Amino acid sequence: MILCGWSGKALRVNLSSGRITCEDIAPKVLADWIGGRGLGAWTVAGEIPAGCDPLGENNKLVFAAGPLTGTGVPGTGRFSASSKSPLTGTIFDSNAGGRWGVRLKKSGFDMLIIEGVSSAPVYLTITDGQAALHEAGNLWGADVIETNSNLKNMLGKDTSIACIGPAGENLVRFASIMNEGHRALGRGGLGAVMGAKKLKAIAVQGSKKVNVADAEKLNFIVYEAGKWIKANPITSQGLPEFGTPVLVNLFNELGVFPARNFQASQFLSAARISGEAIAETIFAGRQGCHGCPVQCTRLIKTPKTGITAGPEYESIWALGPECGIDDLEVIAEANYLCNRLGLDTVSTGVTIGCAMELVEKGILKAGFTFGDAAGLPRIVKQIAYREGTGNLLAEGSRRLAEKFGAGQYAMQVKGLELPAYDPRGLQGMGLGFATSNRGGCHLRAYMAGPEALGVPKMVDRFDTGGKAGLVINQQNINAAIDSLIACRFINMAVSEEYFARILSAATGIDYSPQDLYRIGERIWNLERLYNLRAGLDSSFDTLPPRLLEEPVSEGPSRGKTVELEPMLAEYYRFRGWDESGIPLPKKLQELELEG
Amino acid sequence: MLKDFQKFGRDLFLAGLNSSHSGNLSVRCGDRIIITRRGAMLGHLEERDLIETGLEKNDSNIILASTEIRVHRAIYKGTAALAIVHAHPVHAVALSLLEDEIIPVDSEGAYLLHKVPVLSAEHTIGSKELEEKLPTLLKEYKIVMVRGHGSFAVGQVLEEAYQWTSCLEHTCRITCLTRTFKRDLQEKRTSRYREW
Repeated sequence: MILCGWSGKALRVNLSSGRITCEDIAPKVLADWIGGRGLGAWTVAGEIPAGCDPLGENNKLVFAAGPLTGTGVPGTGRFSASSKSPLTGTIFDSNAGGRWGVRLKKSGFDMLIIEGVSSAPVYLTITDGQAALHEAGNLWGADVIETNSNLKNMLGKDTSIACIGPAGENLVRFASIMNEGHRALGRGGLGAVMGAKKLKAIAVQGSKKVNVADAEKLNFIVYEAGKWIKANPITSQGLPEFGTPVLVNLFNELGVFPARNFQASQFLSAARISGEAIAETIFAGRQGCHGCPVQCTRLIKTPKTGITAGPEYESIWALGPECGIDDLEVIAEANYLCNRLGLDTVSTGVTIGCAMELVEKGILKAGFTFGDAAGLPRIVKQIAYREGTGNLLAEGSRRLAEKFGAGQYAMQVKGLELPAYDPRGLQGMGLGFATSNRGGCHLRAYMAGPEALGVPKMVDRFDTGGKAGLVINQQNINAAIDSLIACRFINMAVSEEYFARILSAATGIDYSPQDLYRIGERIWNLERLYNLRAGLDSSFDTLPPRLLEEPVSEGPSRGKTVELEPMLAEYYRFRGWDESGIPLPKKLQELELEG
Repeated sequence: MLKDFQKFGRDLFLAGLNSSHSGNLSVRCGDRIIITRRGAMLGHLEERDLIETGLEKNDSNIILASTEIRVHRAIYKGTAALAIVHAHPVHAVALSLLEDEIIPVDSEGAYLLHKVPVLSAEHTIGSKELEEKLPTLLKEYKIVMVRGHGSFAVGQVLEEAYQWTSCLEHTCRITCLTRTFKRDLQEKRTSRYREW
């Protein structure tokens, strides 16, 4: 059978034995799980014991592209990594843009499975279907930029590098895998999984062509979608001009921009760190994924960083207001350090914010507190190298706070630090955080879309009624989009119909929008079943007590807490789960999944 | 300000000049524009549906603004307009698909509008093409039809731009009606407006 969109091949690398094999992926598996997150979830669920130690030999790391990766369709040059997370203990996937995924695909593989543990540091090269492991002793200890440039110098400029920094080597539980120097598979500590396997980097080259079923149709759909991308002010003006920091002022004005470890829902100096402020001060240019018309990455220039990729909205917030800091250059420096050292900016900032509150309350003794801009870069380094207090913070906010019997001050769900939205002013977002299969995450269900941005339509952000259905639909469709694997920003301008049409044109298989919802629902339930097997029951579907019990003290969200209980009960019913959050046999049968 | 937006937004919807979520309104306030939110229902405008952003410069509110913001900006920069009404009047849109210009056959239309040009563009929504072409036409005309899409009307206040929109649709209804009778018009005066 000739596959279109997919290569139908997986590369398996066993680091314990050094054995490298090429395997076929069944066409039905590809059609059912598509790629990226879906293919990753299918592999993790089938191959990684739910009870395994995420940093042990039995965990695996699954990299996957999608059927659109490498086709040149704007917004589809992404790839994902899936594993069991050392931060959350859940099934976890993280994805990034850039060219690494395109090159993996063009080297002839849809998926790369890393298993076992190497006895000494190694890096992997993949070139047009051939793979080899190499000794990496000289790279071990190098930061991301150094690793990237050393390998590129050695292997050639047409190589894409995914690697870890010192944080991954030191098993920091929120270490990231970095791609092209600044693009992060940031969340969930998959960099620590790579570090535990002693795998420093994966260098990929690829020159094969990705076949599509109907190139003419594909081009026409892209052309039509281009009209909407160019017309929509989010994708044609807001993101190209300000990048994701365009959200800073907007969400601050709505009173959903948390500050000082979520003790407040507005930050007085937000304007100083906003997209507009960046444009007027440290902006140095625009960048984006290959072929993408949005070009949302900000290049910035500061004395400490030189010209580099600037902080995204979440990073600005986590390393800024969350820690009570409004110095844009310091935030940019801390963001730069996180990229170099291989740390997730969100978890880094929120864990520091948690530590700052513990210090403020006299629970933790450390030489910093809220607003300590001068100390921020030092703390970031201490985390990456597990030095002093940094060693405690390297475990993440949940383990840090629980160590001092103060778990309530960790702003996390299932161990994953929350992103830059105060759900007390966005009720649906609260439900999305609580029910997310990978923990406190805004990308599983971006309820800020309907609750604040009017995408696709504006709903009452304080109302809880009907939010369960909206969250579920978003979780399902986003699971499918994460499998294509497509950029969410494109989704701001085009509907799921576009994704279904483009997937059909690429693969030659007829997908409808409803097919994508069903595929997403299967992925969601598969992930849920894995988490249940890993011991994460419904008691983990909750929020930090602050968000449930402490009303916002001032601003537009004043007096609000998250009314989670009724939304959650409705959510379980809507999902076809019992009151303990366990998928009912009827639902599993309907989805053709095994419990 | 909100009351004006609500009044004319509601009237546009109730008069059938817009469907539930179509159309947009804006006013210019110096170097700022207040424009309806992307996807707002003009028949049910609330305070959160009025988005203020720059005439020349973007700010973070741009991501909430109507998809037609670039066209509104271009019109304000190219004309003396202080208010813009964009609508999707049914009969006017239908005629725009048949004619290169709409010549009113009724007295009110002839008196107020004389002639309404129809602009053809490949991309008709929030496009650069409209951004470039519409201001030139709106220097000469109060209202312009974009073929198969809708009308853009300018005024010193919203009421004025609303009036041209309402008048255009009214005249187009009359034109459509007269065509259904399949008889020659007795009144020939409209031909002179071809040279307007």
